[in-house]
Amino acid sequence: MSTVTGWRSRLAFVVMLTAWSIPGAQAQAAPATGIVIVTGQQATTPVPTLMEGAANGVGNQDVADQLFLRLAELGPKAQTAGDRDFVPALARSWTRRDSTTLVFDLDSRARWHDGTPVTARDVVFTFKRAKNPDLAPRVSDLLRQIVSVAAEGDSRVVFRFARPYAEQLYDATYHVAPIPFHLLDSIPPDSVSRSSFATSPIGSGPYRWVRSVPGQFVELAAVPDFFLGKPKIARVILRTAVEPSARLNLLLSGQADAMDIIPPPSVNQVAADTTLRLIAVPSSTMGFLLFNQRDPKNRARPHSILADNRVRRAITFGLDRRQLVQAVFGSHGMVPYGPVSQLLWIRHRSPRAEGPNVNEARRLLAATGWGDSDADGTLDRDGHPLRLVLSVPNTSGIRRQMALLIQEQLRRIGVQIEILQLEFPIYLERRAAGDFDVDFSSVNQDPSPSGLTQSWACTGGNNVAGYCDRGVDSVMEQAVRGRGDPGERWIEALRKIEEDAAATFLYAPAFMYAVNRRFRGVTITPQSAWLTLRKWSVSPVPVAGRSR
Amino acid sequence: MGGWLLRRALQAVVTLAIATALLFVLMRAAPGDPLFRLSADRPISQKEIEVLRARYGLDQPVGRQLAAFLGGLVHGDLGVSIEYGRPVTALLAERLPATLLLGGSVLLLNFTVGLWLGVRQAVRRGAREDRWLTTLSLTGYAMPSFWLGLMLAWLVGVEWRLLPAAGMQDPLLSSDAGWLTRAGDVLRHLVLPVLTLSVVSIAATMRYQRAAMLEVLHLPYIVTARAKGLPERLVTWRHAWRNALFPVITLFGLWLPILVSGSVFVEAVFAWPGLGSLAAGAVGGRDYPLLMGASLLVAALVVAGGFLTDVAYALLDPRVRIG
Repeated sequence: MSTVTGWRSRLAFVVMLTAWSIPGAQAQAAPATGIVIVTGQQATTPVPTLMEGAANGVGNQDVADQLFLRLAELGPKAQTAGDRDFVPALARSWTRRDSTTLVFDLDSRARWHDGTPVTARDVVFTFKRAKNPDLAPRVSDLLRQIVSVAAEGDSRVVFRFARPYAEQLYDATYHVAPIPFHLLDSIPPDSVSRSSFATSPIGSGPYRWVRSVPGQFVELAAVPDFFLGKPKIARVILRTAVEPSARLNLLLSGQADAMDIIPPPSVNQVAADTTLRLIAVPSSTMGFLLFNQRDPKNRARPHSILADNRVRRAITFGLDRRQLVQAVFGSHGMVPYGPVSQLLWIRHRSPRAEGPNVNEARRLLAATGWGDSDADGTLDRDGHPLRLVLSVPNTSGIRRQMALLIQEQLRRIGVQIEILQLEFPIYLERRAAGDFDVDFSSVNQDPSPSGLTQSWACTGGNNVAGYCDRGVDSVMEQAVRGRGDPGERWIEALRKIEEDAAATFLYAPAFMYAVNRRFRGVTITPQSAWLTLRKWSVSPVPVAGRSR
Repeated sequence: MGGWLLRRALQAVVTLAIATALLFVLMRAAPGDPLFRLSADRPISQKEIEVLRARYGLDQPVGRQLAAFLGGLVHGDLGVSIEYGRPVTALLAERLPATLLLGGSVLLLNFTVGLWLGVRQAVRRGAREDRWLTTLSLTGYAMPSFWLGLMLAWLVGVEWRLLPAAGMQDPLLSSDAGWLTRAGDVLRHLVLPVLTLSVVSIAATMRYQRAAMLEVLHLPYIVTARAKGLPERLVTWRHAWRNALFPVITLFGLWLPILVSGSVFVEAVFAWPGLGSLAAGAVGGRDYPLLMGASLLVAALVVAGGFLTDVAYALLDPRVRIG
């Protein structure tokens, strides 16, 4: 019997050894001129004008940015107002005929990946599709100020706008990149998403589509004769792992060269790997406590506690926001002044957010009649405790963690916070219906501050808390519609929103990205992480060592 | 037998039809709207919501939506996923092979290693090997799969770098690599997720098989077989094991749907591109068409598991009368 057991053990060993020694079966090191980037979302339809609804995600955008070139790219400062911070791309130059007419001259060297020249006809065709609200409801809304797009010859395109305003160039270039007329014109617009073009798109960017393996990765290859310079990294693989721990394992095991958005608790673990470089990138994310100013049960009535500006201000004063940010994001987060993420250019001009002031918080609450009549530590008024429900989605570790700290900090000023963790779809449904006291919100912002009107104007489509200040509306309107530099008006709007204490603005983090040190010239832009990939280079020699 | 099979198959179809209708209605009755998810990260206009609601038929009454779904189902059309914007049947077909490979490997290991170890334990009842295997199986059974997966991925994949920490294939493998190289690559990626899922399932099968064998080994016909002088191996495997197999057949029927639904966490931990992770995402996003497709598949496997178990009993156990 022992002989049999020994024979079986040896067989198992041989099988294992064989499995490991199959040629090419070992985990491959990245080729000298390729990069594997691990992300959380896989591209499904990375085609401008088709990225609507759930398809408008980072996964599609990352790939579309490599495949399709915009007329001009937004520069590193992400200054959306004016023309200064834009870099020529598909268009080699642009001029203004008058205050509502913008003329682009296309670069005659630009080619689609099948070799066909990019022409003005492609641009006109793209904007016609993009402005159709039935096909592209999101983009068409963003392009609503563009009245017409017309071709003048093969290489000149003329944009006409409804009125003069500071973000004309941004609107004409940022939201949609041209798609090829010669390949799509024959396909009915509502069939494009099911066409072969959607599954293997042909663009004009530095990388061309190679293949997609569903649920696993998308592979792109450098376009050797790309007119703005041949990309130095020949092969790009965007590998998908939805679970953050799986992404981290792929990175730390050497199966990936780069990763976006390292979860804050894992930053030190990545930093300990000497083959990796950590890069802090300003993010478009901003988190805040949104105070419902209407009664959740009857929207016609004001909220019994939070309709009073002084209570809202007291809550803001009662929180040590810098401590909260430090606890969750370490040194890579900041407390925003108003609803402004690190991506928005107006943050550079805004004042610093106020620090905690517990005495002022207590004074404001006392002034509104809240006192601790029964000495139980919670303030009360007319027999009712100062108790608020804080809605938090159970999918956000950051918000769940911070909610506990907020609960503890507000307990010190006598405000009782009940944390209500909700499944994400239910959380969103209740939020949209205004069914909350305090909502722990988090948003991703576009580079343009004009998006603020959606949430903070009286009639904004995403104003779920019933906040309304006609003064804010007026200033934001001037900022959006005004010519010249709208910066000061935006700051004034932020100041009013802060004074109104429409929300307590908690965090605007920078996200940490990791890139293997063998890549050189690495820059990551906040509005699109891998946009500058074509300018990176790679050392053929792997970086040795892995210190822990 | 033919009539019985037909009746049993019809019962399975009716069960599946009822399950489909119930799933459809319950899904829509549950709180949460698939389109609100779009407003999670950015403001979304009412116009955008209206267009998308019409695009996915969500603006129709539930009864009409159900009728449209059943009409499509008859033609093999499960609708278009809200999350992916692609036909659900195509998405399921893309992910099914990975799930079948993972689940099939687990089932294979489960019903070879698990059965063999269970039988060994029973014939060596009370011996040191039995005690050790009992301890091991109980430990394995008590171990949460997601925790074990995380530990294996970190230790074997990241720290020791012996096997891939995640994924199903190496994306850098040359496109002209031979089938042996490709198979070897998938095999290496398969080891850790299979090991993670097998630990729990093998432990359960071992316990079932051991208990079933112990019951049979005391029956008089086994004593008779031994008295006739048959070799012990023949007594164990031909006489005892065949009769001790029936509870395990039931277990097989129960495990079949777990092929799809039981590996959600493990698929996530190892970034395995199967149906489990697809379905989990659909739940979170209330992607009704995709959720319905995945649920229907699981329901079909549950019904198939019950059907196959009944058929196996009818074929293998002469004590079971059919008709």
